[in-house]
Amino acid sequence: MDEFYREGEVNPSSSILLEGPGDAPLVAMIGPPNSGKTTLFNRLTGLRQKVANYPGVTVEKHVGRAHLPGDEFVDLVDLPGVHGFSARSLDEQITRDVLEGKIEGLRAPDALVLIVDSTRIESQLMLVEPVLELEIPTLLVLNMWDELEERGGYLDDKVLGEQLGVEITRTNARSGLGVQEVQGFLASVSPQQVTAPERNLTNVPQGVALPMMDAFTARRQHVRRVVEAAGFGPPRPSGASERLDAIALHKLWGPLLFLAVVIMVFQSIFTWAVPLMDGVELLIASSGEWIAATLADSWFRSLLIDGVWAGVGSVIVFLPQILILFLFLGVLEDSGYMARAAVIADRMMYRVGLQGRAFLPLLSGYACAIPAILAARTVDDERDRIATIFVTPFMTCSARLPVYALLIAAFIPQRPIVGPFFGQQAAVLLGLYGLGIVAAVGTAFLLKRTLLKASPGSFLMELPPYRIPSFRSIGLRLIDRSKIFLRRAGTIIFAVTLVLWVLTQFPRTEAGPPPIDDSALGQMGQVIEPVIEPLGYDWRIGVGLLTSLAAREVIVGSLGTIYGVEDDSEDSIVLQEALQRDLTVGSAIGLLVFFVFALQCMSTVAVMRRETAGWKWPLLQFTYMLTLAYVGAFIAVRIF
Amino acid sequence: MEITEQNIRSSAPLDSGDLRLGEIPLQQTVELVHIDLPADQAEPLLERGVLPGCRICPVRSSPSGDPIISVDGSLLALRRETADCLCVRLLTALQDVS
Repeated sequence: MDEFYREGEVNPSSSILLEGPGDAPLVAMIGPPNSGKTTLFNRLTGLRQKVANYPGVTVEKHVGRAHLPGDEFVDLVDLPGVHGFSARSLDEQITRDVLEGKIEGLRAPDALVLIVDSTRIESQLMLVEPVLELEIPTLLVLNMWDELEERGGYLDDKVLGEQLGVEITRTNARSGLGVQEVQGFLASVSPQQVTAPERNLTNVPQGVALPMMDAFTARRQHVRRVVEAAGFGPPRPSGASERLDAIALHKLWGPLLFLAVVIMVFQSIFTWAVPLMDGVELLIASSGEWIAATLADSWFRSLLIDGVWAGVGSVIVFLPQILILFLFLGVLEDSGYMARAAVIADRMMYRVGLQGRAFLPLLSGYACAIPAILAARTVDDERDRIATIFVTPFMTCSARLPVYALLIAAFIPQRPIVGPFFGQQAAVLLGLYGLGIVAAVGTAFLLKRTLLKASPGSFLMELPPYRIPSFRSIGLRLIDRSKIFLRRAGTIIFAVTLVLWVLTQFPRTEAGPPPIDDSALGQMGQVIEPVIEPLGYDWRIGVGLLTSLAAREVIVGSLGTIYGVEDDSEDSIVLQEALQRDLTVGSAIGLLVFFVFALQCMSTVAVMRRETAGWKWPLLQFTYMLTLAYVGAFIAVRIF
Repeated sequence: MEITEQNIRSSAPLDSGDLRLGEIPLQQTVELVHIDLPADQAEPLLERGVLPGCRICPVRSSPSGDPIISVDGSLLALRRETADCLCVRLLTALQDVS
């Protein structure tokens, strides 16, 4: 079972889940998007769940353990929401592979829980037939049953179950109605002793020589017959949803609301998160001081404080920002507004060669490109998805902020432009954000006309009824996010700061560590000096740039070390003065431009490789962005 | 006027028709006759129950003028380019009642 976690984000030694092969039955939960699948999953597993990645791809895999009455338990896999199995999107591919038992290290599920939204039963049941063809024990869950009844709909679920030949239950995942029945089904599942027969899951039934259209028509007719036999009376349209849509999709109010939401998300990232970030910073600084006071002066203390604490701490500071962003994204998605936002953004995105679904990843990119690139997996057209994740790193992520803040404070005088609130510094910051957007739009435009050229794809977005988000569900997701983020900080950033620190310590002199100019790091800097000289940088900035290739914000810490500034948070004035001495205003602006364009983030490169299954795209992206950065900085130095 | 047009339609043979979903006014329920799209673009529609024979009603249009349709109680947002590839026919008065 170790393989199950091989590429995962989760500590494999965790004992909560999947302790050994076959010790608990495995049940997969599938259903269309917005059917309440994840809410039910959260109901059943609570905190006993994890997010991991499927081997080879970065589609997240949510696994959890459901404890049942009588000390029994089953393992649950929450699959991505899908409408079918054509494997157009990564989500569909994964769902298909899991159900067919073709995922490396994850055995085929012993049973399935298929969740549908009762209020939209006719279109949702299109998924039932291919799933039942698998001949795995299946429970059909009619979720949001109370909503169906409230809105005057009717369905004889007993007849429906008989007609489909499947066990059936009504639930309301949010209130907990019917969860006991689901647990009852889970308790009845036994692990399959023999290896499952070869399974094949497609939209078009195997061995039937039907054209696709006819296969769908046949399935649709079957669904209609079954639903009619069950006496289905469709519910009234949701009045509240219609009234909300009258605003959210209004010609004038719609775009205004959209703009207000985007501004609010930004505002929250950049202002509301600040006190929290200050708190985390204080915590890291004071704990570092405490350790420094406790330990004797040694190489180990230097490594721990100057290397690990400073390096890893500078990244953990961003945790509140990322959590606030995900809180907003969670609320927007679960309430149903995100689908409307995608519709409003689609025309705009379409003009630059993307589509409405790219809106969510691009917005997430303002916090961090990595979750943003993962979020792009909902973009169902492969070319659109590649184009989206190619331009995502141009969105000004939060790791650029410390760099922008340092350079702007050092080189841009604070003069008011419009009134007392909008000054020259804010204007430069805004300009840098704008430059990123221009680069993203231009690149997407270029890509869709060259490498990713295709006839205009389609855009199809289902608009679910508006619902009040479950804060329990969103809370659980935030916990997941924190774990993933902290794990990343604990591995990649940790490794980089360690290597950097070591490079500043060698070759040893008799007195201890060498002067920075003579250290291995300094020598490396002098080697690359000719390359960066046209941009007006000396080797110090060069080393900073080199280290920032791992992660952008690392440059602040590196420059601090190089200029002999011990604690950059306390002595940032000294660092600013040192920079003012070594850089002209032009080369400082050039450096800012460099950071707008360059892909200085190894985690992004790694995620790109996994998401595109190869080195072609990440290498192209890295080279392209670096070239753009160099040329941009070169031009900036000559203009300013 | 509406009735006349519907009468003409219903007496015409059930061919692809020259009415496109994009031309249908809001709140007018129509029947899908034919999807004039390549298979890979048609499949997502089919999966969501947008199949020949189904009833479609444009219920709203997005701020940019793209149609939002109701099919089997689900709301779907399309691009008008896609809507223009969906051949539809008006329901006869009789069908409308049922």
